[in-house]
Amino acid sequence: MEQPRVGTDIQFAICGSAGDGTIAAGDIMKRAAALMGFKVIAFDIYPPEIRGFGKCISRIRISDAQTYSLKRHSDVLISLNDAHAIPHVGEVRDFGAVLFEDNSIAELPEGGHISAHIRAAQVPYGFGIREISEKATGLARSRNIAALGYAAGLFNMPPGIFHQIIAEKFAKKPRAVTEDNTRAFDAGVEAAARVFKLDDVSVGRPLSAASGADAVMMTGNGAIARGFLEAGIQAYFGYPITPASSIMERMAAALPREGGRFLQTEDEISAIAATLGAGYAGARAATATSGPGLALMTEMMGLGVMAEVPFVVAVSQRGGPSTGLPTKTEQSDLNLAVYGGSGDAQRIVLAPTNVEGCYRCAGMAFEIAETYQTPVVLLVDLYLSNRFETVIPPRKNIFAPKPRKTPKMGKGEEYQRFRLTESGVSPRSIPGEAGLTHTVTGLEHDEIGHPSDRLHNEMNAKRHHKLLPATHFPGLTTQKRFGDSGKVDVGLLGWGSTFGEILETLYTAQGQDIRVAVMKVVMLSPLPVDEIAAFMDDCTHVLVPELNFEGQFANMISGATGRPVTRLTQTTGAPMLVDDILAELHRLIDSPAPPPTSSHRTAEGVRA
Amino acid sequence: MNEHVNPVYLEDKLDEIRADGHLSYRSKSLPTWCPGCGYFSMQEGLTIALNRLGIAKENAVVVSGIGCASRFPFFVDTYGFHTLHGRTMPVATGIKIANDALSVVAIGGDGDAFAIGGGHIPHAARRNVDITYMVFDNGIYGLTKGQTSPTTAQGFKSKTTPYENLDMPLHPLMMLLSYRASWIGQAYAGRPHHLAEMMTQAIAHKGFSYLHILSPCVTFDKTDRTYGKLNMQVHDLSEDHDTSDLIAAMQQASAAEIPALGVYYVEDRPTLSEEMDEISRRARNAPPIAE
Repeated sequence: MEQPRVGTDIQFAICGSAGDGTIAAGDIMKRAAALMGFKVIAFDIYPPEIRGFGKCISRIRISDAQTYSLKRHSDVLISLNDAHAIPHVGEVRDFGAVLFEDNSIAELPEGGHISAHIRAAQVPYGFGIREISEKATGLARSRNIAALGYAAGLFNMPPGIFHQIIAEKFAKKPRAVTEDNTRAFDAGVEAAARVFKLDDVSVGRPLSAASGADAVMMTGNGAIARGFLEAGIQAYFGYPITPASSIMERMAAALPREGGRFLQTEDEISAIAATLGAGYAGARAATATSGPGLALMTEMMGLGVMAEVPFVVAVSQRGGPSTGLPTKTEQSDLNLAVYGGSGDAQRIVLAPTNVEGCYRCAGMAFEIAETYQTPVVLLVDLYLSNRFETVIPPRKNIFAPKPRKTPKMGKGEEYQRFRLTESGVSPRSIPGEAGLTHTVTGLEHDEIGHPSDRLHNEMNAKRHHKLLPATHFPGLTTQKRFGDSGKVDVGLLGWGSTFGEILETLYTAQGQDIRVAVMKVVMLSPLPVDEIAAFMDDCTHVLVPELNFEGQFANMISGATGRPVTRLTQTTGAPMLVDDILAELHRLIDSPAPPPTSSHRTAEGVRA
Repeated sequence: MNEHVNPVYLEDKLDEIRADGHLSYRSKSLPTWCPGCGYFSMQEGLTIALNRLGIAKENAVVVSGIGCASRFPFFVDTYGFHTLHGRTMPVATGIKIANDALSVVAIGGDGDAFAIGGGHIPHAARRNVDITYMVFDNGIYGLTKGQTSPTTAQGFKSKTTPYENLDMPLHPLMMLLSYRASWIGQAYAGRPHHLAEMMTQAIAHKGFSYLHILSPCVTFDKTDRTYGKLNMQVHDLSEDHDTSDLIAAMQQASAAEIPALGVYYVEDRPTLSEEMDEISRRARNAPPIAE
């Protein structure tokens, strides 16, 4: 169990049935907290069905220092539907609060009321949620807002900020909606004023209240869209797929305003084909998809590598294989993103580890693609795509494109699109530039670009070697070490969204006097092998936690460095728990070095 | 119907050809097609068309898929993209959307277009992307040495239909007419002057133009679509055909086993780029949509 930090570090969980307004209440809470100047991480889970009675949970962590994942234990659970919330009572920490309806209007079966499930160490706050809503608005519809007001009242959060967010949220609805919800909120606050307060956790004053106005609440997908826009994206082609669609929807709304062009294509193949076409013609072009779409796109990815065309593909992973688990998170498309396609088709793959990373990587992706004349994959997952974090973007746009340089030809010199140069990067001309006409092809070719197998080995070397300097691309964090310096007992290597839990694990382990360090790897292709190997030199055990079954990243690391690693893999559809990583870390410390090469833990805890 | 040709002297003709300027659109690479292949007419036709329309080499992009026809970009001196099997339409769309100033010509064979690439054509047509699509239809897979294609006649024997092809062939003109391509025409490799004229009109058209070009495969089809048979069967569309009448165009297209040569249908409607500009105008005048 995490210890409450000094200052503010509180996590709310709101649970209800689809239609209860669970996600809406969570949305107001996180926006209010961000406006107050707190750091916020929030993640919603909802059923794949649009309508029905599925379970919705919104979890919001509010803190004044930057955090990297949700906490294992929530401090406060608000139940809007007991049947759904009962299984989540256990996630509330000892001395944490459970807020629930204590004035049931229907006869309940034994054990049907949440109060029967609250542990002795937890603090129950039963109140008439429905009654408060009905008294304030005449209807039970504002139950979610009444409960939110009660929670805000419990922690003395300023109502004015909530009023502002409520007004913004319902700005497009009739004014009565804002008025009713504001009344319901205030009635909730009022009800909480008369009860005893939870005193071992509090919402204090944020450390930097001034940053509240600069902070932007973004999802990972929103951050990718924003990065694309600031980088001057000119064309976006896409096909809807969960959980990447919100990037496409953002592009549809924003790109035409900026004078860019947006097209919903007939499938993922045409989405990437058009993106490649636009990239070939000199535009900054991107598409976004998930695993099943990426599977369709791999052939075009290979063409992009072969014809040396710059473009960007954002990939938000979900559970697989095949249609898999569309609304659950997983990190199992790593192999596909890095290796997918025929032949030796090395491309650049960037996997940001938090929302701010999504924004930065998306902002820089085009420049990287253009520098190395190759496709760039931005690999995230549902957990990162959909979770909210506060980001403070720089005031000045740092991603704007620089002017293009047309290749200069000497007199009588023949233009060679694929000239073998020292760096492997050849002078690139784009259609419209006179005197530089050429044809590019997916066939192996000579320096001019004509089909020929004569230089296959040299061309393969060129396509691989030109990418290697990307691991030190200026201004981009391709890997970074945290934690203890020097020799450590355990080193954790992480990528993507799981790195947040790995970092939280580090902080917990450091509090337990374990010598531990972690490394995040953002560039997955080409891999910053030297830095990873140097990190592994310092570690008695290397642990690689990731959300796939086979340990795809562990395999990659082990293959690239020729050294054993310990895998911790899970495919539960949910983010990995800090407690699970911590338990494996303790197991390793208690086991003799060197570690077993085949240790393999799965979600069920089976060791193969 | 044979074209009337006056006797010419070689030197005079060469001078005339050089002066005309279309040779400058040829690349230094010699075509790799079999001697006698109809596709040589297409190379000549496209260079003439680009020259006639005064399109600078650097402003023309020839996009192709995979197959004998798709080797085309290597044999003309423009920008070229030899892409993947069946994907000319979306790649060409991306190029055009990125730069309206380019004249984009997509080229593929019957297999590239109507087997693997069949799903993309209706969308390029309905969106009215301002590109030209030329399908060289020889009713066979030539590059892979003679297998059946979606336009192969019933009863044809090939390596993949050794007991005869029983599948009904597709009817490309009827497909494109129902997709509402905004310019639809048919030409024949054996009538190069008419072909060049049709290519010129197709490229000049604003919007999605589809030119179907009948061509014999002299290597793998000795019985069905030969010069001899096609020369007997091709005929011109009647002079009074109304190119704005979609139903009349469909009647003409389905009237004979080998449909007539000429322009079947022409329609003036906004192109995809024009629609996108209109969306941009509306977006700028609308309140921002919240994230």
